[in-house]
Amino acid sequence: MRPDPASATEPRAAASASYQLNVVQEVLLALLASEPAHGYQLQARLQLALGPLADALNGGHVYVTLSRLEKAGLVVAGEIHRSDRPNRKVYELTAAGRERVLAWLEDVSWPKPAPAEFHLKMVAAAAAGLADPVRLVGLQRHQLLSGLREAQRAVLAEPEGSVAGLLLEGVVLRLQADLRWLEQCARFWDARKGR
Amino acid sequence: MMGANASVLSARELCKDYGKGSALVHAVAGISLDVAAGESVAIVGPSGCGKSTLLYLLGGLERPSAGTICLAGRQLERLPETGLARLRRESVGFVFQAFHLVDELTAHENIELPALLAGSSPRGARRRAHELLEQVGLADRGSHLPSALSGGERQRVAIARALVDEPLVVLADEPTGNLDSGATTEVLRLFDQLHANGQTLVVVTHDERIAATADRLISMRDGAFVDETRLVGGSPRSLSAMVGLER
Amino acid sequence: MGRMLLVSRLVIGDVKRRPIQSALLLAVIVTTTTTLTLGLTLRHVAKSPFARTKAETRGPDFVVETQPKPGARVAPGRAFATLLRAPGVAASSGPFPLAFVRLTEPGVDVPVDAEGRTTTPSAVNRPLVTAGGWVRPGGAVIEQGLANTLGLHVGDRIGLHGHSFRVVGFALQTEQPLYPECTPGLAWVTPTDAARLATPANPLGYEVDLRLTDPYNDWRFSNSAALTTVSNEPAWATLTTQVWEGTRDEDYRVVKIDQKALFVGGWLLGLLAIASIAVAVGGRMAEQTRRVGLLKAVGATPRLVAVILLSENMALALAGAAVGIVAGWLIAPSFADPGSGLLGASPVSAPTAITIVEVALAAIAVAAAATIIPAARGARTSTIGALRDPVRPPRRRPRTIRLSAWLPVPLLLGLRLVARRPRRTVLSAASLATAVTMIVAGLTLRYQLDINQQTHNAAGLMQGSAIGGRVTHLVFLLGVVLVVLAATSAILTTWATVIDADRSTALARALGATPRQVTSALTTTQLLAGLVAACIGIPAGLVIYQLAGGDVGKANPPLWALLAVVPCTLAAVAALTSIPARLGANRSVADVLRSE
Repeated sequence: MRPDPASATEPRAAASASYQLNVVQEVLLALLASEPAHGYQLQARLQLALGPLADALNGGHVYVTLSRLEKAGLVVAGEIHRSDRPNRKVYELTAAGRERVLAWLEDVSWPKPAPAEFHLKMVAAAAAGLADPVRLVGLQRHQLLSGLREAQRAVLAEPEGSVAGLLLEGVVLRLQADLRWLEQCARFWDARKGR
Repeated sequence: MMGANASVLSARELCKDYGKGSALVHAVAGISLDVAAGESVAIVGPSGCGKSTLLYLLGGLERPSAGTICLAGRQLERLPETGLARLRRESVGFVFQAFHLVDELTAHENIELPALLAGSSPRGARRRAHELLEQVGLADRGSHLPSALSGGERQRVAIARALVDEPLVVLADEPTGNLDSGATTEVLRLFDQLHANGQTLVVVTHDERIAATADRLISMRDGAFVDETRLVGGSPRSLSAMVGLER
Repeated sequence: MGRMLLVSRLVIGDVKRRPIQSALLLAVIVTTTTTLTLGLTLRHVAKSPFARTKAETRGPDFVVETQPKPGARVAPGRAFATLLRAPGVAASSGPFPLAFVRLTEPGVDVPVDAEGRTTTPSAVNRPLVTAGGWVRPGGAVIEQGLANTLGLHVGDRIGLHGHSFRVVGFALQTEQPLYPECTPGLAWVTPTDAARLATPANPLGYEVDLRLTDPYNDWRFSNSAALTTVSNEPAWATLTTQVWEGTRDEDYRVVKIDQKALFVGGWLLGLLAIASIAVAVGGRMAEQTRRVGLLKAVGATPRLVAVILLSENMALALAGAAVGIVAGWLIAPSFADPGSGLLGASPVSAPTAITIVEVALAAIAVAAAATIIPAARGARTSTIGALRDPVRPPRRRPRTIRLSAWLPVPLLLGLRLVARRPRRTVLSAASLATAVTMIVAGLTLRYQLDINQQTHNAAGLMQGSAIGGRVTHLVFLLGVVLVVLAATSAILTTWATVIDADRSTALARALGATPRQVTSALTTTQLLAGLVAACIGIPAGLVIYQLAGGDVGKANPPLWALLAVVPCTLAAVAALTSIPARLGANRSVADVLRSE
């Protein structure tokens, strides 16, 4: 039975816990390095940097992270009393926070390059005879192609010189690379089947 | 036949063989295809699977060994060379991987060439060339020779040339094969525009990006179609999920 | 050994890979060497045709002819006895009876000496029969020059002094110069018939042929005692003597005109050869540069590269030269005027060893030239440079491009093709111009001779026409050869242009030009060359004619005839080039574009 693309996101959502952006904290710290800011200002800057991908980070996520950072002693929150507006917190970097930011900037580790999980999926399927690896590849390929379609559309929609556009280009190229590997997988497992 | 009235290009049981005896190669083996007006079709496959041959057959640049092709209501396999030439003039715009621009002509002169061949007046042809050059975003490079243009710019000039006679269908053979990533994006953008304007496109390509943005994606192997998909874009949320931005 | 094997394999592989181009080059070389061989052969005058004829016919060194007074009685044996045995005489023949008659035929009336001969071969002066047979009763053998002038055939009926005779043969001799340099003409009959032809008013004369012990001192013999005795015989009305040098000089005077015409013709052929080879080599050099780059890229040293190129060109050149020499050998005899008055009198013989060596050297020189330049260029330019830009990039001419946009499609494409490679068109025009020049010169000569003939006819003299006839014949043959060679060259040049324009024409067809438009375009490029050639060739032809045969006359052919050369040239060029053009225009577009 072939799961339809829409529902495919659901099971993937569970697995994507491991794809979480752990660096939201560092990003917020870095954004505070130039000057103190309100929570909503930080939200806006993230939006600017990530473009359409920023939807995943809703407002709540930012405030939750900020309070965590406050508890960790990396930021301090002050209050500004204003006569015409309700009070809003202003966040500011501490010395420890600044150190953390610098360390993060200097760090050159890169995210995992090879999709080991998918590879293992196919090996297991072939070994146990639970599913046809070629079919699995086909499904995954379809998924990635849809993603590529979306990403490419997004790239074209971005204005010239947009910062978010740069990220989207990166998405496109990564997906392209993955698709090429999937092509090879298809050939490999197809040849295996033939034996 | 599905959408026969709206179908701009249709082929039935198309075959093309090369060589003979033990060296006989079935470059295209029994392909049937219908392309509706305004559709964009991408054909992908490994090298040597016959994609380019198929495209040449569809554009009347090569004669099939068997099968029929119907373009703009005319049967290609029955036309003599002269008829094919006329049909190409009126209904087909070709974009090649190697650009095939004439080295000693400027961008303007390259673009207006098909119009001149079709008998337009030089003024009319030049005007149209101006328009198209603007459309592809190279209005200021009109008097440059191809050697003075980058790869992406050359291909855009070639696309403009393919559009000069307002063809029914644009056939592109690996249009981004000789281009780097940035140039590919330029071409992609252009194809997107064309598609938005209702131009029918058939593109043979290696590039997954172009394949992903087409209405129909057909996979080809060993001269035959093996798969056809209609892709629907995911939502931005699924995209973020793929990238690693998740709650 | 291994290296030779490698080189030969590369050469054979390359020739097999591009059979048409190799065949074209071979064809051009064959054409050129044939032309060269013919040209050189024509320029070498055959050594002493007179000497050969004299040797073959045992020609006399000294001839004495006499005619007695009417009514005088002479005993020939006694009259010439002392002369025949005089000191200084090595051998003798005669006396032969000689009748002084007029040869009549419809429209002809010329004086002829009818010599009475038996079938027994004589010691001196044995005429060489070239057609038919020797004398018999009622039959006359005509001297070759006379036969040519009168246009006689074996079996014709002629009248000698009213008596009907049948022409039974033609023969060569060296006792007197060729008719019409020498009148009266000469014919041989049986002695009985000769006696019959004598009349009381015109009695039978006698001829004695002598071979001297010292031929070069025959002048001294003129003053000898024996001859004086004979000439003092009172019975003679006339006595004439003829020495062999005199005969020879008269004969050569005729032949010299032929030589001049053929000399000029030979040079023109040589020029045509050079023009054709330049085109072929030019095309070849362009491909070779790329090959040099490829060979260097795979690690061949410059020396090995030169060896490979040289071997290939040399093989083709020598093969072509061999075929060309043989072809020239076979064609040259057709320039020999059949049955001219002297053996091999037309100055064309089989190619001598020198000619063969000259042609072979020329072929080798061409091969070397075609090798040195690309090899040197290859050694100088970087490998990448040679690979990336194999051919000279085409020229851009903005005005031509803009102008051509206003023209109909065939002219548009044709003009742009010409503008891309002007040098090729120039070479093409040069070779065509050479042919037109020769044809115009020939036409002018023909026209001149016609006028001369009319003038001479009016004066009752046929003198001009024999020489003129022969020269016209030669010029005509030369013209034919030139036209054939020029035609071949035109076809080959078109082929080369078609191949060179392969990509452009394929692209034009992909963009919507019909095959007919493309064919017309290719033909147009050659027509342009033809137009230039015609315009240059007409005045050049007149100039060449003046240089070569200015002594024949000063008037020029009518203007309409000269102007007619232009459309004729264009029509011929169009017809010739349409074949390769059409073939080229119908090739599969996809093949050409895909190979890029």
